Amino acid sequence: MTASALTRPGERERVSIKLLEIDWRLGILLCAIAGVGALMLYSIAGSSWEPWADRHLIRFGLCFIVMLVLALVDLRVWFLSAYPVYVMGLLLLVAVELVGHNALGATRWLKLGPFQIQPSEIMKIGVVLALARFYHGVSAKDARLSWKLLIPAALIGAPVLLVAHQPDLGTAVLITLTGAGVMFMAGLSWRVLAVGAIGALAAIPPFVLFVLHDYQRNRILTFLDPEKDPSGTGYHILQSKIALGSGGLMGKGYGLGSQSQLNFLPEKHTDFIFATFAEEFGFLGCLGLLTLYAGVIVIALRIASISHSHFGRLSAAGVTCTFALYVLINAAMVMGLAPVVGIPMPLLSYGGTVMVTVMIGFGLVMAVRVHRYSEISSGRGALF
Amino acid sequence: MEPSIFFDEVNERQGVFHRRAFLLGGMAGAGLLAMTGRLVALQLVQANRYQTLSASNQFNFRLRPPPRGRILDRNGVEIASNRPDFRLTVSRDEISNVETTLDAVSRLLPMDDARRSQLKREISNSPRFVPVAVADGLTWEEFARVNVRTPELRGVNADMGEARVYPYGGAFAHVIGYVSKINKAELDKEGPNPEPLLLHPGFRIGKQGVEKALDQQLRGKAGGQKVEVDAVGRVVREDPEGDIKAVPGKDVQLTLDADIQARALEVMGDESGAIVVMDCRNGDLLCMVSSPSFDANRFASGVSGAEYRALMNYERKPLLDKVMTGTYPPGSTFKPTVALAALSAGVDPEQRVHCGGSWYWGGRSWRCWKHGGHGSQTMHDAIKNSCDIYFYQTALRIGPDEIAKAAHAVGFGQIFDIGIPGQKKGVVGSREWKRTAVKREPKWQPGDSVSYGIGQGYVAVNALQLAVMTSRIANSKKALNPRLIKSVGGVDTPPGDAAPDLPFPPEHLAYVRGAMVAVANDTSGTAYRQSQLGLGDIQMAGKTGTAQVRSYAGLASRNSAHYEWKFKDHNLFVAFAPVDDPRYAVAVIVEHGGLGGATAGAPRAREVMRVALLKDPEIRARIEKPLPLPDVPEAVDAEGAAPDQPTVAQAAPAGPPQPRTQG
Repeated sequence: MTASALTRPGERERVSIKLLEIDWRLGILLCAIAGVGALMLYSIAGSSWEPWADRHLIRFGLCFIVMLVLALVDLRVWFLSAYPVYVMGLLLLVAVELVGHNALGATRWLKLGPFQIQPSEIMKIGVVLALARFYHGVSAKDARLSWKLLIPAALIGAPVLLVAHQPDLGTAVLITLTGAGVMFMAGLSWRVLAVGAIGALAAIPPFVLFVLHDYQRNRILTFLDPEKDPSGTGYHILQSKIALGSGGLMGKGYGLGSQSQLNFLPEKHTDFIFATFAEEFGFLGCLGLLTLYAGVIVIALRIASISHSHFGRLSAAGVTCTFALYVLINAAMVMGLAPVVGIPMPLLSYGGTVMVTVMIGFGLVMAVRVHRYSEISSGRGALF
Repeated sequence: MEPSIFFDEVNERQGVFHRRAFLLGGMAGAGLLAMTGRLVALQLVQANRYQTLSASNQFNFRLRPPPRGRILDRNGVEIASNRPDFRLTVSRDEISNVETTLDAVSRLLPMDDARRSQLKREISNSPRFVPVAVADGLTWEEFARVNVRTPELRGVNADMGEARVYPYGGAFAHVIGYVSKINKAELDKEGPNPEPLLLHPGFRIGKQGVEKALDQQLRGKAGGQKVEVDAVGRVVREDPEGDIKAVPGKDVQLTLDADIQARALEVMGDESGAIVVMDCRNGDLLCMVSSPSFDANRFASGVSGAEYRALMNYERKPLLDKVMTGTYPPGSTFKPTVALAALSAGVDPEQRVHCGGSWYWGGRSWRCWKHGGHGSQTMHDAIKNSCDIYFYQTALRIGPDEIAKAAHAVGFGQIFDIGIPGQKKGVVGSREWKRTAVKREPKWQPGDSVSYGIGQGYVAVNALQLAVMTSRIANSKKALNPRLIKSVGGVDTPPGDAAPDLPFPPEHLAYVRGAMVAVANDTSGTAYRQSQLGLGDIQMAGKTGTAQVRSYAGLASRNSAHYEWKFKDHNLFVAFAPVDDPRYAVAVIVEHGGLGGATAGAPRAREVMRVALLKDPEIRARIEKPLPLPDVPEAVDAEGAAPDQPTVAQAAPAGPPQPRTQG
């Protein structure tokens, strides 16, 4: 067994050993999901690699390599770069506010030479890293309930407010819930959780009525009663449910989903790709796909729990939390259980930005796994 | 910092994390289970519902207009049918700019500015999703040329449909009417949700005559062509197996005979008037022609404003149906009716009245058409010679109510249910009628009766009523009703002889018929020369008539030949044949045809009657193989010097043996 060899000093630093330590089960699951995505994109394009399936696969391939490279990055480097990444993300978010590129009424993009970057995506990783870094140096008692918790609250609140102002409600909710998830796993008091949950629920009605933009409010009203205006705002949800429901047990068959092939289903290749999949592969196909996602979540949580460092545990768990939220929110939206927010199905939906974010996240998870035995001693009180 | 505390701390943090991570995993699992539950609800429990919704998304039915029912004559000849029609349609919801689309269309099919602006208006006024036909009646070459280009022209479709065609042009225009595009008023009548068929660019609605009256039966039921469409409604695929067949409209068979009808229009020439032929055994109408006519095909394809105005303004009124809508004073054709009334009132037909050319009564002189006078006249003579003096006096004697009773009995003053609208019932004067109808002078004056006796004054009839009157007298048993619609969709309509008996004793009818035979066959009859059929021993009986158009007072002569057309008298003639076994009755009205029914009416009645008789196989057999008549070989020679005495005796066997007073 390699276990004895790994005990030798310096042995774990060898790249070949590190590559072996990468969790390949997780890698294969990710490839499987992306493969299903490519399969669906091929079908939606009318049995053609153009224009989506080929690019989806190429992007995934590149992202997979990035993930492998990141997996080899020492966890201490991740640890040290946590705050810088967070601060940079925050600065970029501020920059978006000032000089951002406006698209479809929302300012989310920042032009950097030939690249367009979306700082809110960086922030999804940034918040997880910063929180994990923070909790790494906090005692269980303080993590449970203390004045120090104002710091993670601020770490979450600042980017959320900026993102919400863009406005990108979906991402704001995602970052909030991810942050809450990390705080929860760090040991936040149940009482605080309960108060926070009740407070959040109580805040929803006034928030919807007074803060949201009209189109956002319409989405929520539509969600509550999609049949009211089937050809207008309720169209997305209704068509998505028709696609899902008409799939039945076995599905209509690969390439035969009329809802998506004939364009009744909007965003069929991005946010609503799950509905397309469900139409063509039916209930059994959906069970299989959800099992793949469940497998990813279980393996990632397992990786988090075997890490020796608190930073590693919390960062891997935070990434898993983000991933799970993506899956659950998108599935709920497609099935008409949540309002239409721009949250894609990770790795299945066409679109580069989210894929990059998710794969960088899994790079971190893999790094946690590869470096699960490393101790990060400088943690406690590093900030204070 | 105590290492031990630190260590405990670490362990505690790890423990908390493990518990919480387990909970988080549990929550994610619960979330995924909830999603699965939702999938069960959508994909397993409600699958049928969503499959239905999906199918209704995916498939659409493109309207297929049904073929309109044909209209046939009594022998099954098509008088209204459908031909394939190639047209070009523009769908407003699919085009972005009317101007550019019309530009593109006019490059394929040149159009003038007037047509273009009309189309522009039509397209912008059309309801959404309803295509507008921009060109009809394309030739195959044009259609092919357009068809290859239409895929590039969004919203422009080449379409094959059916168009109405009337093979006889104008011959049936008034009876069967025509079809044309549905207009706003007609659409509004259909209620708030009209049948989609009505909005189809190929749909035509019946506007007049049979086409209008039986529109619902002729229309049929629209079918659907099952097509697969995408979200914006573009057709992706066709599915012939899923088509819903259109139900063709029912064929309507008329009692009319196309040959008689065509001949009748032909003999009318440029004259204005009407010809009606009726079978006097069962009431079938064999011919209903109003002249001048118009080409119904022009109306079906959309008549231009200028053409329509020309038809409207022509003084001979081609658009008016003179068979049913035009009413005229019957003139002397009313005399047989007055004679029946007199017989019913107990007037002895042999009682003579002296005609000296005029009769002084009531402070004025009443003139006979024959200024020299007819001399001593029996009722028979008076009908044969159309003596006015006899009927002036007889009408005065029996009074208007007796005449009105007889007039109603023979069919005047009423509307017959022949299945098409537009009949005018005319006027049959009586004391009661005048009291309510003539406000200016409600009391019936004896002078009114005098005019009434010769079919002038308070009497007006249409050509259909004249034909009915003649048929009833010829039939002499039943009060026949005219029948125009023979069958609808193969279901026969009740025949016209399912009617009550005439309220006249047979001998009265026979007497009048005998007199009408004399009109046409007695050499001194008013229409002798014009009534010879030339069909062996088949003879025609008739009655002439002149309807006064304006007062003759101040005019030098009643002979209006030299007057302007519109001041000339109407010329009427009624006839039936064969005299020994009446089968066909004819009524002819020639507007402003001049004096004496014999001049304009009788020759036309004779021509039409010849066609009717020659088409009858039994009559034809009789002509080709005459009954052996060894005693009177000359009788076959109708064109010869007409030995009228024996002919009449033979021809009217049912008539009472009346002594002939004139030769």
